Amino acid sequence: MDPLALKAGQHCLGHCAGEAAIEIAYGNVRATPSHDCAMVVTGAPAMLLIDNEPIPTKSIQILGAGQSLIIGPPSEGIYSYLHVAGGFSTAPIFDSRSTSPREGIGGLHGGYLRDHDVVPLGDSVPLIDTYRANPGLCNMEQRAVLTLRYVPGYQYDELAPALIQRLNGEHFEVTAKANRMGVTLNGPLLKTGVESLLSEATCQGAIQIPPDGNPIVLMKDRQTMGGYPIPGAVIESDCVRLAQVRPGQKVRFAACTPQEADNIRWLEHHYAETRLR
Amino acid sequence: MAFTIGPAGDTAMRLSFQEPPSPRLTRLLLQLQRTAQDYFFNALSDSVVGYATLTLFFTPLSLQRDQVAAWLEKTARSLSDSQETHAAHSKETVVLPVFYDPAVAPDLVTLADDLGMTIDTLTTLHSATPYFAYATGFAPGFCYLGTLDPRLKTPRLSTPRQRVPAGAVAIADQQTAVYPCESPGGWRIIGACPVTLFDLAATPVSRLAVGDSVRFEAIDEQTYCSLGGKL
Repeated sequence: MDPLALKAGQHCLGHCAGEAAIEIAYGNVRATPSHDCAMVVTGAPAMLLIDNEPIPTKSIQILGAGQSLIIGPPSEGIYSYLHVAGGFSTAPIFDSRSTSPREGIGGLHGGYLRDHDVVPLGDSVPLIDTYRANPGLCNMEQRAVLTLRYVPGYQYDELAPALIQRLNGEHFEVTAKANRMGVTLNGPLLKTGVESLLSEATCQGAIQIPPDGNPIVLMKDRQTMGGYPIPGAVIESDCVRLAQVRPGQKVRFAACTPQEADNIRWLEHHYAETRLR
Repeated sequence: MAFTIGPAGDTAMRLSFQEPPSPRLTRLLLQLQRTAQDYFFNALSDSVVGYATLTLFFTPLSLQRDQVAAWLEKTARSLSDSQETHAAHSKETVVLPVFYDPAVAPDLVTLADDLGMTIDTLTTLHSATPYFAYATGFAPGFCYLGTLDPRLKTPRLSTPRQRVPAGAVAIADQQTAVYPCESPGGWRIIGACPVTLFDLAATPVSRLAVGDSVRFEAIDEQTYCSLGGKL
């Protein structure tokens, strides 16, 4: 959900082949390695303990064989990433080590990791000083109102101007109905009067408006096809911010041109590349 | 044929035809998709055919919007004018066995009642003609098939089921489909198909593809069970 935090950890450990990390929502994980390994936790800042001793967050640590690492609940944000040097070596499916629990595909056994699961580690690479990237790189700045920039498209021109005005002018709130599939928002109802449209491809960030009028921003594990009206799609950079905010967070939408979206992506790409070297 | 071209978020472009779905339109979309795959090659990370749309997903920062829009405009125009594009290729019809029985189809009895017909008439109508595969998606191996006999037209359940079993044969509006794996779903279940539609070990992984012709064939309980169907 937070590619920047994933990338930060990969750079820290000298991973350059897209090595897998474990995504953890709301912390509370205990893990013990079978052999000594370097590790780092990125993303939502969580309290870390090795054998019950607190260790600095956002730094590379050596976890000894049999030692117990505890990742506590994060103080803010949702998704933390546990990276271990060499990555995890579960069997890739479609060139990916991601897990899709809804379909039971990928990962260790197609589902969420459970108590007592043993995840195979990849071959460790020696740590090199030049890889000391900034593990703190993430999108966790707190804001009273998070602005979600979106590129208008899909049914934007067919929806009532009053509805678009509401979408652009009012504040919405992130609800607890938020997961890897999508984030449901609460606020002024956006009644489109449309029950369903011909099914077509969805995209990341698509603002889907079901008949009840509460918009859903589609995230990484969204359904590939959808049939509800969509006035546009939130740009990737703001999808990451949205992924890391908790229920109750206020958000607003702001339309942007595709060119502006590209400029933002270029800048953030450059920022990540320079901060990670 | 009239169409519009616009962005789908910040890394995709969407081509939408102002035209009701038809096998002819789908064949045009498939032809466009193949042409785009050849032309954009590695810059294209994914492409999806909908009922009346083609969405092209690009590797971030590789998308030259003006160029893509101009290419889409020109290519869609020339392909929709060409007669060849729309010719149906002689693909074999995929036959899927279905056990139509209340034991595996919780909506069969009430639906027949709602539609004012016998279960026999309902299942005969459902299996009478081959369907066209308009789109895939929703879940791996899920294929949107149409068009249903107008006499079978039915709304979705007002509250979707949390669990629809794998193999459930269902209808909604004027569409029909088989649920390839257990998932939530709001379509009405009228039968069960024992054939595996999505298999990671198979090539291709999905039994059905857009553009296929699919026919359902009624089978009895014994055949259903011998083909691996579960009651």
